[in-house]
Amino acid sequence: MSGLVWTLVRTDFKTRYHGTAGGFLWALLKPMSMFVVLMGVFSFLFASKPTYKLDLIVGLFLWDFFAEGTKSGLISLQSKSYLLAKTRVPPWVLVITSIANATITLTVFLVVIAAFLAATGHPPTLEAFAVFAMYCVALLAMVVGFALGSSVLFLRYRDLNQVWDLILQAGFFLAPIIYPLGILPERFHFYLYVWPPTPVIEFSRTVLVAGSVPTLRGHLYLAIDAAVCLILGAIVFKRLSPRAAEFV
Amino acid sequence: MKALEVDAVSKSFSIPSVRRDTVREHVLAAFRPRRFDRLQVLDSVSFSVSRGEAIGIMGRNGSGKSTLLKILSGVYLPDRGRVQVHGSITPVLELGVGWNPELDAVDNILLIGAVMGLSLAEIRRSLDGILAFAELERFAQLKLKHYSSGMSERLGYAIAFKAVREVLILDEIFAVGDAGFKQRCEQRYLELRAQGCTAVIVSHDPRIIATYCDRALLLDAGRVAFEGRARDVADYYVSALTHLEPVS
Repeated sequence: MSGLVWTLVRTDFKTRYHGTAGGFLWALLKPMSMFVVLMGVFSFLFASKPTYKLDLIVGLFLWDFFAEGTKSGLISLQSKSYLLAKTRVPPWVLVITSIANATITLTVFLVVIAAFLAATGHPPTLEAFAVFAMYCVALLAMVVGFALGSSVLFLRYRDLNQVWDLILQAGFFLAPIIYPLGILPERFHFYLYVWPPTPVIEFSRTVLVAGSVPTLRGHLYLAIDAAVCLILGAIVFKRLSPRAAEFV
Repeated sequence: MKALEVDAVSKSFSIPSVRRDTVREHVLAAFRPRRFDRLQVLDSVSFSVSRGEAIGIMGRNGSGKSTLLKILSGVYLPDRGRVQVHGSITPVLELGVGWNPELDAVDNILLIGAVMGLSLAEIRRSLDGILAFAELERFAQLKLKHYSSGMSERLGYAIAFKAVREVLILDEIFAVGDAGFKQRCEQRYLELRAQGCTAVIVSHDPRIIATYCDRALLLDAGRVAFEGRARDVADYYVSALTHLEPVS
């Protein structure tokens, strides 16, 4: 099994980045360049908020993981249909390993974020970073749940990736990534928090940038949110995956 | 000791009058019902294979041979009935093992070898042997999408013959390659049989069934129409076809 997981991750890496470290650099460069552009424009608009660029980099990198992870998870079974149709391979392995590359990128970003925070005079404490890592795990759980559910649905509904692209495009602005949540009236906040990346991004900023800890209620909400995503996805997957090979 | 037990396996596919596989089509046609026809591909098929035995499966196009092999291989799930496999199965279905066209031969061997249950160390050790068997040493670094169909089929057999442990499933065996390759395949097949390997072979070629199988069954419209010694089944199949009569 470990050999299978390793070769699958390696396959994704090779086909995605053409097997080169340079290809992997491009994956890192995408949100980095986005960060530079957005910072150039919006740090003037939000000049009153001194920590804007820190908030931006945390939000962007987490968002990039969410977007990349869900996109590759959604198409995972379809893109491995050549295995699904011809071999006895457990489909969940195909789904889980498809998120590996996004997770590797996220891990690199964690280091970049820590370095960036330290360089701008906000070195995170070990505790803060540990809590942040927990939020990343919650985000990972959401992405895994989404990937499980959507990957089997995508085999039946072949335009689901386009629908998801639309949602992601809107979702980028629904999540408070390029704007501080505070500019919106308080009564809207609850609805924004329903969109799963929002609590992860907001809480991560709270511990890393502001240096405080979100409320217990907030944490509970995040845990339930992640659990619901994961369980819902797993249920859909368990129902539909046994016949997945018939739809490829 | 049984290697394979197939007990009253049935499989049908639902064929809609209109194919809809996108969200858009489903939404636009939400109130236009469609008719579903059921295509009964396998109808209560039962047989068993002893350990070390080779069984042939014959039948005309559309008689359910390939579906049966996919169910035996664990790719499809039967609607009713049960398949019990005692030991590991190595399938070569429809002249392929599930290549990724974007990877070269070496990476594909690693991937498929891992899917077939070999450890990475085992695959690395047998890499040269597999390439030599398929006579593809010169093309080891070539992406599979640039391979001719004959080349990729040869590679498929080479890896399956290497990976097989207990049960070998072959769809149209020995139908590929030139005389030299066929001879090597036949020789390797006999070696595996001598080692106690169980084989399930689908073929239209009565000579192959008569030569390489102990027993055979003839499928007609998803039912076992005739079962017996391989040579008898092969003769029956030929006479039934040449007289242009319905087989059953």
